[in-house]
Amino acid sequence: MNVVGVRTLFRKEIRRFFRVPGQTILQPLVTTTLYFVVFGYTLGGRQAEVDGVPYLQFIVPGLVFLGLANNAFLNSSSSLFIMKIQGTMVDLLVAPMGPLELLLGFTAGAMARGILVGLLTWAVALAFTGLHAVDVARTVLFLMLSSYVFSVLGLLAGLWAEKFEQVNVFPTFLMLPLTFLGGVFYSVASLPEPLRTVSLFNPIVHMVDGLRGGMLDRPAGSPTGLVLLLALAAGSTAWAWRLLKVGYKLKS
Amino acid sequence: MAAPVLVLEQVVKQYPGLRALDGVSLAIAPGEIFALLGPNGAGKTTLIGAACGLVRKTSGRVSVLGVDLDVDPVRPRYDVGLVPQEINFDPFFTARETLEIQLGYFGRSKDAARVDELLAALSLSAKADVPTRALSGGMKRRLLIAKALVHRPRLVFLDEPTAGVDVELRRDLWGYVRRLRAQGTTVVLTTHYLEEAEELADRVGIIDHGRLLVVEEKGALMQRLGERHLEVKFREPVAALPAGPATAGTLSADGRGFSFHERRGTAQAAEVLAGLFAAGLPVGDVTMAPASLEDVLLRVLASEREAQAAGGAR
Ligand SMILES: Nc1ncnc2c1ncn2[C@@H]1O[C@H](COP(=O)(O)OP(=O)(O)OP(=O)(O)O)[C@@H](O)[C@H]1O
Ligand SMILES: [Mg+2]
Repeated sequence: MNVVGVRTLFRKEIRRFFRVPGQTILQPLVTTTLYFVVFGYTLGGRQAEVDGVPYLQFIVPGLVFLGLANNAFLNSSSSLFIMKIQGTMVDLLVAPMGPLELLLGFTAGAMARGILVGLLTWAVALAFTGLHAVDVARTVLFLMLSSYVFSVLGLLAGLWAEKFEQVNVFPTFLMLPLTFLGGVFYSVASLPEPLRTVSLFNPIVHMVDGLRGGMLDRPAGSPTGLVLLLALAAGSTAWAWRLLKVGYKLKS
Repeated sequence: MAAPVLVLEQVVKQYPGLRALDGVSLAIAPGEIFALLGPNGAGKTTLIGAACGLVRKTSGRVSVLGVDLDVDPVRPRYDVGLVPQEINFDPFFTARETLEIQLGYFGRSKDAARVDELLAALSLSAKADVPTRALSGGMKRRLLIAKALVHRPRLVFLDEPTAGVDVELRRDLWGYVRRLRAQGTTVVLTTHYLEEAEELADRVGIIDHGRLLVVEEKGALMQRLGERHLEVKFREPVAALPAGPATAGTLSADGRGFSFHERRGTAQAAEVLAGLFAAGLPVGDVTMAPASLEDVLLRVLASEREAQAAGGAR
């Protein structure tokens, strides 16, 4: 494997988003903070506790997830798309970078941005809620897993898109609804049937749930969610690897 | 011949409704400069793409540095460089950073000396730390060349490397390419400046409609198909040409000019000219245009089109 190549691509991706920190880090931070203030204070004030947790605390993991997922997705999708349009993708395609190297480099870069925004959001939130116990291992696991899945999905979107607006199709028509139905602002457990069962097919529910369990140090539920997410990660990885291997929309 | 560094066997690239490569077979020897010539849309870039992994061939076999690309498409790339025809640049990075990143992609560790060397070789040192978007068109092209060479490839594809590069730098670049060859680098070059191919190439391939029409050593090709052109002006009108070699030329209608095309199998220009002098004709001015690759290319393409037209009538 071309380790130096992967590291170079990873570092290049990071340098890229640090060159425009206002757009790549600050802006998402402001957005999620606004969510936090609006939903947490104005709406949540009336609803003091959810699942035995103060509402303000309850929504923090979901908001961390929002920043994490959006930015991981945006980073790989826009970076890849821009490289296609600029023609700089050619440099990667003629370099000794196989599908695995490309996958690792792009997703690692995107995960870095997603996790960075997620953690900064969390830091801001902690200033409001105060410090509390955290299950570090579980938090790290779900931060990694969620950002990984969205990085790979971003890669797929970037490969597929031919026009800039197509990059946004997936976030707008799939991610946004699934996120809002994903238990960011409410507890899925409190939903009536059959909505509750239907919700369990939404992977975002399990990401938010896992993060919430870790970040608020709540007892772990059944491992079904984790299994589903691992399967999703494996499936999307295989798909992306395959497309990179054949050069889908990259090679003529 | 030592083992070829690039072999194409019956390579076909079919686009919907268009056969961009129509059964191309070619072997490139180590250390040679091979010029691939042909009109727009002939298939030059597609051929290079098939060798570099940018084009998915429909059928045929490509092997680079002894490795079949169907078996391992990645490993040979450590030693291959490409100057793509289309300028590309990442506006986020400077010329120096671009070259550093490029080295990394090729698995090489940081090498500031190498980067500086290439920046200097391509006259980019003064612009090394300027964002690439602030480079002029020709400078961007030169950066593209530096990128293709920074990892010391053994096989380099230059797809119109000097389009938009100024005359002086073009000549510098030719010098640089010759130095590369002296170090054993193999170069495959496409260009529409035929003077460039004439200067640099050891062998020439002429391609049209995805088919290689001619692959030949440059000198031999020029001898075989090149034409030197003799032009004579008389001080006074001449009524007729003297018998002897001069009859191979043509006298203009007003009797003031004479022209002769020297090619393989005809009389020598010197003999023809001597015949004019021997007959005491009032020669005023003589010009001699050397054979050019441009003529050769045009002739090959024209005869191919004739052959095709004839074939089409069948
Ligand atoms: N992605 C593509 N889809 C369909 N046709 C293509 C594609 N790329 C190239 N072609 C066609 O293949 C043919 C060969 O193109 P190619 O770029 O190889 O020509 P070329 O010899 O490099 O020409 P030029 O001198 O203009 O660069 C052209 O007819 C071109 O239109
Ligand atoms: Mg071309």
